[in-house]
Order: sequence, then C-alpha cells, then structure tokens
Amino acid sequence: MASVTLENVIKRYGDLQAVHGVDLEIRDGEFMVLVGPSGCGKSTTLRMIAGLEAISEGTCRIGDRVVNDVPPQRRNIAMVFQNYALYPHKSVRENIVFGLKRAKTEPAEIHKRLAEAARMLRLEPYLDRKPAALSGGQRQRVAMGRAIVRDADVFLFDEPLSNLDAKLRHDMRTEIRRIHKNYGTTSIYVTHDQVEAMTLADRVVVMRDGWIEQVGRPMDIYLHPANLFTATFIGAPSMNILDGTLDADGVHLGSHTLPVPPAKQAVAAAALEAGGGRARPIKIGIRPDFFEDCAFATMGPNSVRLDGLRVEIVEPLGFDREITFHIGESSAMARLDLRSDIAEDSTIDLCVDLERVHFFDPDSGKNLELVA
Amino acid sequence: MKPQTVLERAENRFGWQLVAPSLGVIGLLILYPILYNVYLSFFDVQLVGDNVFVGLENYQRLLTDSAFYDSLTTTAIYLLGTVAGTTLLGLGAALLLNQDFPGRNVVRGLILLPYFAPVISVVFGWQFIFDPVNGVYNYMVVEVFNLTDERMNVIRDPDLGVIVVIVFDIWKHFPIAYLLILSKLQSINTDLYEAAAIDGHGPWGRFWHVTLPELYFVLGTIVILRFIWNLNKFEEVFLLAPNVQTLPIFTYYTAFTGVIDQGLAASVSVIQFVLLCGLIWFYVKKVLKW
Ligand SMILES: Nc1ncnc2c1ncn2[C@@H]1O[C@H](COP(=O)(O)OP(=O)(O)OP(=O)(O)O)[C@@H](O)[C@H]1O
Ligand SMILES: [Mg+2]
Repeated sequence: MASVTLENVIKRYGDLQAVHGVDLEIRDGEFMVLVGPSGCGKSTTLRMIAGLEAISEGTCRIGDRVVNDVPPQRRNIAMVFQNYALYPHKSVRENIVFGLKRAKTEPAEIHKRLAEAARMLRLEPYLDRKPAALSGGQRQRVAMGRAIVRDADVFLFDEPLSNLDAKLRHDMRTEIRRIHKNYGTTSIYVTHDQVEAMTLADRVVVMRDGWIEQVGRPMDIYLHPANLFTATFIGAPSMNILDGTLDADGVHLGSHTLPVPPAKQAVAAAALEAGGGRARPIKIGIRPDFFEDCAFATMGPNSVRLDGLRVEIVEPLGFDREITFHIGESSAMARLDLRSDIAEDSTIDLCVDLERVHFFDPDSGKNLELVA
Repeated sequence: MKPQTVLERAENRFGWQLVAPSLGVIGLLILYPILYNVYLSFFDVQLVGDNVFVGLENYQRLLTDSAFYDSLTTTAIYLLGTVAGTTLLGLGAALLLNQDFPGRNVVRGLILLPYFAPVISVVFGWQFIFDPVNGVYNYMVVEVFNLTDERMNVIRDPDLGVIVVIVFDIWKHFPIAYLLILSKLQSINTDLYEAAAIDGHGPWGRFWHVTLPELYFVLGTIVILRFIWNLNKFEEVFLLAPNVQTLPIFTYYTAFTGVIDQGLAASVSVIQFVLLCGLIWFYVKKVLKW
C-alpha cells in the first residue's frame, strides 16, 4: 500500500489543456473519490496516475517514488475499467489470475486468493465461463476480482458502476465498501454520480473543467460547500440557489428578511463595506432537505420562519414529499415528509435553520462563510 | 440436433431456398469437371479414338514415378515457404503500420501495389532481375559483394528457382494478409492493452496475450486461403520459373507436353484434390474449430 501525491499536474492534448494543475494527496489506505460533470478531467487525472496517459507537467508520486516516467506495468497498481476490459479469450478464472501469474506468484497462493475473491464476489459458479457468457453485473464483479487478487499499492476505478442498473449499482457500492474495509488498499475512484461519491469516499475531490473545486470529507462538502458549483453538484435534490439582496438589516428574499447569523456577520459586514455600504445582490443557498414544515418544526435559536409561501407542485415519494413553491421572484424546492399533507396551490409556512443557509458572492460564486 | 421451433424450421427452409439456385449452378460448374476428372483418371486417354479402361494403373504408375515425388516435395516447400512468408510479412507490416507515424497513409496505400500489379508484367520484371547476363541479382552477388565467382541462372535451376518463386509469391501476396490483419488490429479494443499493461505486461506480453488471441482467427483464415490458392497456383510459377514443378505444373507437363498422358494427369489432379480436401478438413476441425 502507498500514498499517491500529485503536484501541479497538468495534462495537455495539443493546444487543449484538459487538467490545469492538480495538487492532491491521497493518503495511505484512503478511499478518494474524484467527482464532477462529464468532461471535467477525472478520467484523465486517474489515467495519469495509472500511467496510461503521459503527464505533461508536474509530478506524480506513488509512495516515495516519482512515477512520471514509469510505465503502467511497473507501477504496481490495479484498475477497474468502465467497460470492464475483460480478456475475451480467457475464462473468468484466467482473467482474475492473469496479473498474479505475471507477478510469478506461488500456485498455492494464486489458488487461495482466487478462491477468496470468487467467494467474496460470488463468482464461483462462473469461473470456467468466458466473459461473453456473463451478465453486465457479473462482468463487473470479474473486473473487480481481477483487481483485488493483486497485491497492488493502489486500486484505481474509472466509473466502474455506470453501466449497471440502479439496484445492482447499490449492491456493488456496498460490495466495494466491504472490499475496502477488508483490504484497506489506497483507492482512487472516479464517478460523475454524487451519490457514489458521498457513500464511498473517505474524502471527495470535486472537479470542474480541469480544476479542483473542493477537497474534503463528504459531509463537510455537503454541509460547507466552498462555492456555488459544489453546492449544487453535491446533494440530491440539488441546493436551491435564490437571488437576494444584502444590506445592513440582513438578507432580503422577496418580502422575507433573513437576519445574518452571528457566525457570518463579520463576512457580511466586510462585503457591504467593500461596496461602500450600498445594498448588494447575493445568492442564497438552501438545501431542500433543510426546510421544515413549521407545523412540526422544533425552533432553534437560529430558526427563521418564511410564512405564506405558495405551493405550486406536490410530488409524493412515499415517506418523502417534494414540494415546489414560490419565494420572492424564484421558485424553490423543499423536501418534507408525509405529515405535511398539503394541496397544490395552497400556502405553507416553512422554517429553516440559519446555520444551514449559505450566502454566495454572485460574482466569484464563493461561499461567504469560507471567505473569512 | 436440438428440437426446433416452428420459427427456426421456417428460417432453415428459407435459408435453403435462398442458396438452392447457387448450389445448383455451382454443382454443375464444379462438380461435373471434378467427376469427369475422376472418371478420366481410370482410363488411358486417347486423343483420337476411344479411351481404354485401365483401372488403377495410372495411380500405380504415379506412385512409382520419382518425378511425381519430386513434384510433391517441391509443392510442400513452395507451400510452406509462401504460406509462412506471406502471413508473417503481412503480420509484421500490419503491426508496423498500425503505429502512428507521419506519412502512414501513403505507406498504407503503397504497400498494396504488388497485389494490384498484373502478374504478367511483374513476372518479366522479376525475370530481368535474375537474368544471368544483365540482371541486378548477379551483378550484386558477383561484382559488388563477390559472394561467388560464377554468374548463375537462378530462375532456370529447379532448386534455386523454387526459392525465387517463393519470394515472388510472398512479395506479391503479403498485402492481402496485411490488409486482413490490419483491419482486425484496428478493431481491437484499446482497453485490453491498457488492462494488460496494468496487469504487469510490457509490449511483448501485450502482443502475446491480447493481439495474438484476437488475431488467431484471421491468421487461421489467411493460412488456409493462401494454402488453397497456392496448392492450385499455376500461372505465376509457370511464367516465372517453368522448371519449378509444383503439382499443377507437373500435371500440365504430363497432360499437354511430351507423351501427352491425360489419364495420368487426371490422376495427379485427383490426388491433389484429395490432398487438399483432407488438409482443409483437418485444418478447419482442429485449428479453426468451426
Ligand atoms: N485523447 C484525447 N485527445 C484530446 N482531448 C481529450 C482526449 N482525452 C480526453 N480529452 C479531453 O479532456 C477533457 C477531460 O476528459 P476526461 O475523459 O478526463 O473527462 P471525464 O471527467 O472523465 O468525463 P466523463 O465523466 O465523461 O468520463 C475532455 O474535454 C476531453 O474532451
Ligand atoms: Mg471518464
């Protein structure tokens, strides 16, 4: 096992720069997830770590070794590909032990590890089949098996679950979590699915357009997004971003006024001062999950009421119900539970804890709490 | 045979209906000459007058004729040399031209030229190269590198001639092997190479474990095709080096020159045909595993 360190890593394809200088340390035994929208450079970053893509500038270290010029076969890594990349002419068994044989592992040891992986991934009945005779989920597990039998320093995953259906994806997520718990191998996992990122990661790297937007533990990113991009990208349903105005009285959102919570007062004052004390526009971010129906809410010291909101749409989802309502000029979404049995086109009073409300600078998109 | 559903049976019947007309034509055009050939091989064929039935005598004469065995040996050498040569050279060229380098497309086109060129014109070019008096070959060997003192008529010599014929065939026909292999190479999923690299294999291991298994079938097809073509090949050998007697040329000399023994020639053809069928059967069963 080993840590992985990227220092100012840049990737260029001709004139196009795909990755703009990534600084990242993945600690020994850590499960790191790279997440971001399509084309943001996640795969490119992962493939540079694997050695499948040359590094244009910067350094990549695995453990203490600089691997920029080390070919993939000498990096001692294992990788699970999005399209599995199983050897079509080899049986499941041969696919799994292929790397072990190459590493001249003792036959008894190969046998042991194969048996263990096959049991863990429930592949025993399929060991003699060719990949073509397997379902997508089974192929996925073979690809996983091929990685875990190896004594690799680092496991790399490039969207390994994106070809599976929702239920299988959920099962495999649990499986991957279990494997990581058992083996504790340093893992780097690429996905565009923020649910996978949240559930699997020790830490998450949020990327956009070849830049890192934020690095942190999943809950830290969820609760304290650094900017508008991570705020809306992480969390489902996505955070409401509302247009408001900040002045000395607080934040105005349509006819409602939210006081600035104590923790953010210094930042707000500084922001106002920078604008010569005039009222300035601001983006307000509130997650749908943090709205509460005032009828059932327990009011804390920082709770505020937003009264008389007009409900436009109600979508019952079983235990949850998502409602779309109007506030100020914008429409927003709240996730309530089945106790709030409201009709469309009626009104509702919603409560929210100010600690859970984010204020973003509309120009830079930065979260004002983190600017301080 | 598995039990079939109505649909499967209907599909089968439709399939037969589709191929029936061509089967009929092929049957007439191919089966008739073959059967007639077999028939002739049991006769002493007279150019004028009635054929005389001689039973297996033609075959007996052949099997005791050392010229026939020489021809078999020549054919074997010719087949081994050309089949191996075209396949390997085609493979090498395809691997090389599957790499990215400037001017690749031009080279990809040029390499096909020998295959397009008309046999008759290139044959004369080659004969000129090996001409004992004016040819480049003798000039290089004798004058430039001083390998021997004496100029040789390589093409007319039955033993050396077969080598020239083999080299000519490789030169002329490797492009088809190259073309088939290259198109297969281009369809190999690059993921597999990456997976093999991650699994610890360098370029050689990746070739052995990814490229070769993917090429197995196409290589097998090339080998059998070249085999069939060359066992029956006449014009290139005959035009370039008439003293190299592979089976078709031996047959020709027997049938149309000297004593003119068409019955005997027919029996050579029959043996050649049986040989070909046997080899193909073995190959398809054991190597291609159809
Ligand atoms: N071989 C290449 N040549 C040129 N540009 C490339 C190449 N590979 C990737 N790119 C570009 O680099 C950028 C990052 O690509 P990358 O594959 O890393 O995206 P990604 O984050 O993995 O996206 P996805 O979620 O769709 O897989 C993209 O804009 C892509 O077009
Ligand atoms: Mg990708």
